Amino acid sequence: MNAFIGFIMGPMVWISAMIFIFGLLIKFIFIIKEVREKEQYLLSYMTVRHSLRSICAWLIPFYPRSTRLRPVYYGVSYLFHILLFVLPVFLFSHIVLMDQSLNLSWPALHDGAADILTLAVILALVFFSLRRRLEPDVRFLTSVKDHLLILMVLLPFVTGFLAYHQVFLYEWMVIAHVLSGEFLLIIIPFSRFSHMITAPLTRAYTGSEFGHVRHAKDW
Amino acid sequence: MNENDAEIIEEATDEAVEKGLERLTSERISEVINQVLHKETGARFKAYVDTCMRCGLCSDACSYFLSNDRDPRFSPAAKVKQTIWEMLDKKGKVSKDFLRRAVHIAHLECNVCRRCSMYCPFGIDMAYMMLLVRRICHKLEITPQYIQDTVNSHSVTMNQMWVKEDEWIDTLQWQEEDGREEFEDLRIPLDKQGADIMYSVIAPEPKFQAGLIYQAAVIMHAAGMNWTMPSRPGWDNSNMAMFTGDNEISGRIARTFFETAAKLNVKRIVMGECGHAFRSTYDVGNRQLAWTMAPIEVVHAIEFYHELLTAGRITIKEKFSKKVTLHDPCNVSRGRGLHDMARKIVAMTCSDFVEMTPNREHNLCCGAGGGVINCGPPYKKERMRNNRAKAEQLAATGAEVLIAPCHNCHSGLEDIIHHYNLNMEVKFLGDVLFETMEKKIYRPGE
Amino acid sequence: MKQWVFFMVFILIMGISGLVFSREDQERLDPSAFETPRRPGAVFSHDGHNEKAGLSDNCALCHHVYENKQLVEGESSEDKTCSDCHGLKSGPENGIPLVRAFHARCRECHFDSGKGPVLCGQCHMKE
Repeated sequence: MNAFIGFIMGPMVWISAMIFIFGLLIKFIFIIKEVREKEQYLLSYMTVRHSLRSICAWLIPFYPRSTRLRPVYYGVSYLFHILLFVLPVFLFSHIVLMDQSLNLSWPALHDGAADILTLAVILALVFFSLRRRLEPDVRFLTSVKDHLLILMVLLPFVTGFLAYHQVFLYEWMVIAHVLSGEFLLIIIPFSRFSHMITAPLTRAYTGSEFGHVRHAKDW
Repeated sequence: MNENDAEIIEEATDEAVEKGLERLTSERISEVINQVLHKETGARFKAYVDTCMRCGLCSDACSYFLSNDRDPRFSPAAKVKQTIWEMLDKKGKVSKDFLRRAVHIAHLECNVCRRCSMYCPFGIDMAYMMLLVRRICHKLEITPQYIQDTVNSHSVTMNQMWVKEDEWIDTLQWQEEDGREEFEDLRIPLDKQGADIMYSVIAPEPKFQAGLIYQAAVIMHAAGMNWTMPSRPGWDNSNMAMFTGDNEISGRIARTFFETAAKLNVKRIVMGECGHAFRSTYDVGNRQLAWTMAPIEVVHAIEFYHELLTAGRITIKEKFSKKVTLHDPCNVSRGRGLHDMARKIVAMTCSDFVEMTPNREHNLCCGAGGGVINCGPPYKKERMRNNRAKAEQLAATGAEVLIAPCHNCHSGLEDIIHHYNLNMEVKFLGDVLFETMEKKIYRPGE
Repeated sequence: MKQWVFFMVFILIMGISGLVFSREDQERLDPSAFETPRRPGAVFSHDGHNEKAGLSDNCALCHHVYENKQLVEGESSEDKTCSDCHGLKSGPENGIPLVRAFHARCRECHFDSGKGPVLCGQCHMKE
């Protein structure tokens, strides 16, 4: 058992992290390569200034009109995305493991705060799932896949939460937590989660077309 | 809504679509769809499809969605779902009923106004995808009849309305003659080599709005411009092929247009108040000819009037006193950012101006553009239903006069005003300028 | 749907039983060297562990003595606490801070020997 745990908490972490990072990187390179081969002209409309202008405008909470029209969804979604990165990276338990294997450490979140924030992420995901069932236009767009995507993010947070509180089946909970977290990392480059890198690209292109060619705002 | 709404059966209303569908075989359908979706697109298309998280933020952008009590089928992403996603899922093996619905969605439930790409957090260009669907329909030869006829006209005559060459020249000379009764030296110079400006219009102007050419000539004359109009095909700057996905004819139109200007050796092209023609020459046609930007500077009427007024070439005699509001056409506001310039012209010519909300880049589409009105009378009732949100937006202004610097918007808004009994008069910016300006007789050297 | 209800009830029962039947008092390592301990002291019974692990006459394995970063063979340090040498913060004088020292000593040995707890909560059990 220890050997199995040693594998999933050791090499497997690095393997999934590599798949995550290089998967996205390769995806990025392929996109640029394909644009250069088939749609070279797109690049001639892209400017750094207008790309950043658009991306930044969309990072300011409630600045784009669209986000003000659905403030609850947008607010929850905004916090959710921040927490999705902040929580795992600044979680004490994760930092201790990092310190153990790489002698690297950084300040950690307070455990109680992390606990509440984890609940917030879980609630946000439940909210997304309910919204997919209740809001008619979103429901129309939703397929089973979308619920699966929510489930994939939900799993590591729920299992992590339960494991922290050592409520039941502790060992299995940790193993489920580690495996679901690694699965999530691995699946990112191969699923719509890759909007991590494609969204800034599409935003940058639209921002450039609007800003550079059409002299208009796109938010 | 109930669960079955996704499978609504489209009525067979359009003869061209029906005859086209009859001719199709399932092999042909999947061959064309896969060819367009995989060979004619690239990473951008894939990114648009892969990036959409089905969040629904685009819904509120669409006037069709807003006009139909937030019916989910009219959300921009839903239109992509009912067309592109399904075509990709089924690898092009779709039924004729599916195609009938796809033609309808792409041609009549989307104005390709691009408002949704401003509401999508990722900036996904859904208008581009609707144009891809139209491209597929074009290659399958199931484009709606009326708009296809305009493309046929383009193909034969290089103008949108079957205007013959002699009719064109005749109309210009007739307007010149009328003008000279009031302004003795007024000219509409044809084919004047090396003029500063080539003035260009869309075919509906000589066909049934010749007065607009008269107005333009008066403005040019009063401002003392060195201008010309071409007598040969290439004078029409409209481009309906751009909206049917007939990229080949669209490219021919743009080439003829720019070559005409190049042969006249003009410094720049000024165009009348038309939005889609501006999109075609400023944004799309140049790309089809492999020019990053238009090879000869293209100036929309809004920019031109603004220039004449600020340079003092035109002076205002008496401001327009009725309460006016301004409609920002998608192709010159979202498409060129001319909304603030238009407001400045209104401020210089009108004394009572009220904004409609939302405005500028966020203005609601007139519901006619993007080729929708060009699909013709069979669809007018439906179009009026789909324009309810626009009607409400107009009514809320309480203005007497609605200024719309775009031909498509102009026609669409007229329809809306009649249908919804709004007591409004639609005017071009040029109409207002013509009414308020000092109509002096230009003498060289003054 | 039935399965879902069953599953939720199962989770609830497990959760409640976990709270009600709290664990009996266990022997733990003394966490008082930490200014603000984030976890309860690790469950550890000195004699029981050493008997099970067969370490009864290898005190110096844990109670080791290092000088100039070199292990001093044959000497041991039962008279000291771990925190006497391993300070809280790492630095040039303190290559292996206390947390890392504990984890390296216990957890890594459990991995190497293939026996004993290795997951956080197996040692840092809730009190």
